[in-house]
Amino acid sequence: MNNLIRHTSWVVLAIFLSSCSAKNISSSYYFEHQDQVEKIEESYKAIYKRSPFTLAFADKQFRIVTLDILTDSMSYIYEFEVDEPRLNDTLLKYHLPVTGVNTLIHDMLAIHCTWVNNFDYYVDEKKRSTIFLSIKPTVSHPFLSDKRYYILTFFNQPQYFDEQGRLVDKRKAKRIRKINGEIFHRITDKVCYTVSSQFR
Amino acid sequence: MIQRIFLIFLLSCSFYSALFADGKIEQPLVTSTREEAIQYVDNIKSLAPSVFWPKVKPDLFLQNLKLNVHDPLSIYPGRATNFCGYGALTYLMLQDDPLGYAKLLVQLYTDGKAQFGKVNFNPSDAIRAAAGGLRFKGVLDIHPAEQMWFLCLADHFKGYLNFFNNRYDPGDENTFWASVNFAKFNRMVRKLLNYDVNARGSDMIRPSVGNTYDYITEKLKTGTVVLFENNRILHKKKLEKIKLAIPTHFIVLQSLSKKDDKITMVYWDYGGRTSLELDSDFLKRIIFGISHCTKKGINE
Repeated sequence: MNNLIRHTSWVVLAIFLSSCSAKNISSSYYFEHQDQVEKIEESYKAIYKRSPFTLAFADKQFRIVTLDILTDSMSYIYEFEVDEPRLNDTLLKYHLPVTGVNTLIHDMLAIHCTWVNNFDYYVDEKKRSTIFLSIKPTVSHPFLSDKRYYILTFFNQPQYFDEQGRLVDKRKAKRIRKINGEIFHRITDKVCYTVSSQFR
Repeated sequence: MIQRIFLIFLLSCSFYSALFADGKIEQPLVTSTREEAIQYVDNIKSLAPSVFWPKVKPDLFLQNLKLNVHDPLSIYPGRATNFCGYGALTYLMLQDDPLGYAKLLVQLYTDGKAQFGKVNFNPSDAIRAAAGGLRFKGVLDIHPAEQMWFLCLADHFKGYLNFFNNRYDPGDENTFWASVNFAKFNRMVRKLLNYDVNARGSDMIRPSVGNTYDYITEKLKTGTVVLFENNRILHKKKLEKIKLAIPTHFIVLQSLSKKDDKITMVYWDYGGRTSLELDSDFLKRIIFGISHCTKKGINE
């Protein structure tokens, strides 16, 4: 009977600990994968300047990629298999660099980056932009938590944080700036992270 | 348990109300042209700050109103909000009665309340305090007229999804407070616009219309079609095998065409047109509601 209680306690403790660990893992994730993550962010930003687009993986096996191409008059949504020739035809049609986008897709695949996207926001009515990267970590996620995606944001300007490292609206204003309903935490002055149940 | 039973009851009510959604014709509204609306808004050179809307900047409000009237495609319900139903309704309103829309928003801004047809908008203090201050919603951040209007619509029209959260608190634009179910959407169109609405489908069960592509194509010939669809399949947010089969998003269909086995759907949502390629099965799978809107008096 005592053994049963002891074993049950260990199981409960393990579940409890695993359900608390997501944020600890994600805070170090950026530094462990900094080169890969920054490469994705930089190449996406460079291609986006030429022609706005978004990339996402649509399946758990990371075989299907969704490409959103944004033009002045219309957004186009396509789904392709990774390395499918049809993808290259579409990239050419919209003047997107074939090698650049394919390399980006494989770089994303390598770290299970599910989504890369540019997001516009406004400060004092001036347009700013930030890049979102969502990652589905390969480590097992906490048992009791539905927060399964690390989301990194790359700002162009240094941001303001409170004493707990949470992203806030302005230097003096202490209003926490939530993006998609999530609180973001400081990694550097320009890079923040959160852990979310959704990758976008 | 009681809450669950009550929720099931409400869902059933919604299902049947949507199934038999051919409602009575409201008092006809006088509709207008875009030219009249443009003339009206362009004649407004400036607005004084409104005591009712402390966070709404007059110049931005006017700029936003002019943009909506000149370019109805620009209506943007905001990132991560539940305003898509109100966005689709506003897009329809700008086709049906753009002058009415412009006058209504100016009246709401200057008087803090307004009447449109039989509907009296008298927004709560919480709404008045919030409008103009929503942030990180994309271009909605600098569109105070749309913020004000979407918040007023959500504050005024209630459906069963709003039952457990029917009073606005900051951040509720992303929650069930702002949600629009299918029957509520059709009710709003009937009350505010000079349209007859023929609605097929529900919040839970897909419409039984035979061939979905043929049905929608036929309806597009005689009116405007709004689709209530499952956006979680279209824009996946989670990489999971099991996905909830429920609709989450309203879009205004612009065209539907078929080449070989591929269907191309062009629709309005989020401030512009989107073109999507999909097959027939996928089309059937994502659509839960079809609202066919025709001008009153010229219905089939």
